[in-house]
Amino acid sequence: MENLLMPTSERIVEEGMEQPSEVPSNSETVLASTFRVKNMSIWYGEKRAIEDVTIDIASNAVTAIIGPSGCGKSTFLRALNRMHELTPKTRMEGTVLLNGEDLYSSGVDPTVVRRRVGMVFQKSNPFPTMTIGENVIVGLRLNGVHDQKFLNERLEKSLRMAALWDEVKDDLNKPGTSLSGGQQQRLCIARTLAVEPEVVLMDEPCSALDPIATAKIEELISDLKTKYTIVTVTHNMQQAGRISDYTAFFYLGRLIEFGPTTTIFTNPKERQTEDYITGRFG
Amino acid sequence: MVISKHILGTFDEALTSLRNDLLMMAGLAERSLDRALKGLLQRDDDLCANAIADDEEIDQLEKQIDKDGFEILLRFQPVASDLRRVISAIKLSPNIERVGDQATNIAKRARKLNKHPPLPEVQLIVPIQAYAMTMFKDSINAYVRENVELARSVCDRDEQLDDMNRAANRKLTERMMEDRDQLRGYFNLILVSRALERVGDHATNISEDAVYAAAAEDIRHQTVATSA
Repeated sequence: MENLLMPTSERIVEEGMEQPSEVPSNSETVLASTFRVKNMSIWYGEKRAIEDVTIDIASNAVTAIIGPSGCGKSTFLRALNRMHELTPKTRMEGTVLLNGEDLYSSGVDPTVVRRRVGMVFQKSNPFPTMTIGENVIVGLRLNGVHDQKFLNERLEKSLRMAALWDEVKDDLNKPGTSLSGGQQQRLCIARTLAVEPEVVLMDEPCSALDPIATAKIEELISDLKTKYTIVTVTHNMQQAGRISDYTAFFYLGRLIEFGPTTTIFTNPKERQTEDYITGRFG
Repeated sequence: MVISKHILGTFDEALTSLRNDLLMMAGLAERSLDRALKGLLQRDDDLCANAIADDEEIDQLEKQIDKDGFEILLRFQPVASDLRRVISAIKLSPNIERVGDQATNIAKRARKLNKHPPLPEVQLIVPIQAYAMTMFKDSINAYVRENVELARSVCDRDEQLDDMNRAANRKLTERMMEDRDQLRGYFNLILVSRALERVGDHATNISEDAVYAAAAEDIRHQTVATSA
């Protein structure tokens, strides 16, 4: 058995990245889909950021989007509520169905789409001139809701769903910016939930938070999926493993692999996925 | 499968160290088994003593592999094939340790047998020893080389080893009835044969972990699962 004592380094042979044999899709594995994305391609000017992505996003589940910087995961996320259109010279091809409705058909108001598909960003962004309470209900006010009783009820409900009510119920008139980073992020989640969206998109929601605040957000995400479909972009592999039911791996604008998180993190089918999640390339 | 390096060099070093400890442990267990059986067949008490002495080092390596494995889980949070390799290493090291224990058992039986005139029936052990040793070596090879086919073939061979053990037991039991003066000697040979049969069981367990490490497939208890 002496030959087995050969060090691993001698066995290691560098090999170029292989291309996946076909575009992955989870259409066979997901029973109910909130989003059905078909052949999505997105360009910023001449540059193609997303290339022919087809994917179904499961309802009442957490889907994590992972991939190296510049792989198109944030662009893909923003395209789910047409927020990428805020960047000049963008162009999109393909279809995005939200519960059967084409979000990109003519006549669809992007602001209505963004109400139905809420977004939480990497850095918490409460409105600095507003109180905690005003921050939560600002979306409703902008939509013409002025019934104070209704607003108060929705305020409490949203803050409770964001697991923040007990911490701020006596300080609703203080500025939103007076809260800690983690509390501000949960305030932004409460603001998103206040307009009762169908989906919550999250773009690296914990990347600026400490481990305690991160744990609270992760716990919140797990609670929220009973009511909402959640799609989150994360650079944190362990976080994707902890919180998501499905994981999609993007690379160079393409969807390389999509499947149940347990499968992706124990036995990915594609070599590129394996190399990325095990830290063999970045 | 071709494995490229991790970006984090210390992760590769930790995995390599774990693997080398495992190979060292397997090498020692194989040597110990070989010495114990040579001690039996060549009636050499020194070889038996060496086999027993090897066990201490094998035990320490089992603890070292557990420690290294847990440290890798803690420090690097491995996933996918890395996770499977670490988990498999932690799972299969107790099987290697038990092969070492079986070598010790055989060596102790051999020392007892060596105190009495040689029994020609010791030759019954030779084919069982060769078969069990090959199974063990192949199981380690299958793990190291991620050879799923070889691992499966080891599992398939276990039944044949069981049959060989049963056949030897029958013959030795018959001899016990015919020659009561050599009762203890035949009994010790039965225990040696049984120890080798257990080596085959451990080789099977190692091979099952090898399949999991290489292909993420759990092939344990398949008969029960299919019939349920």
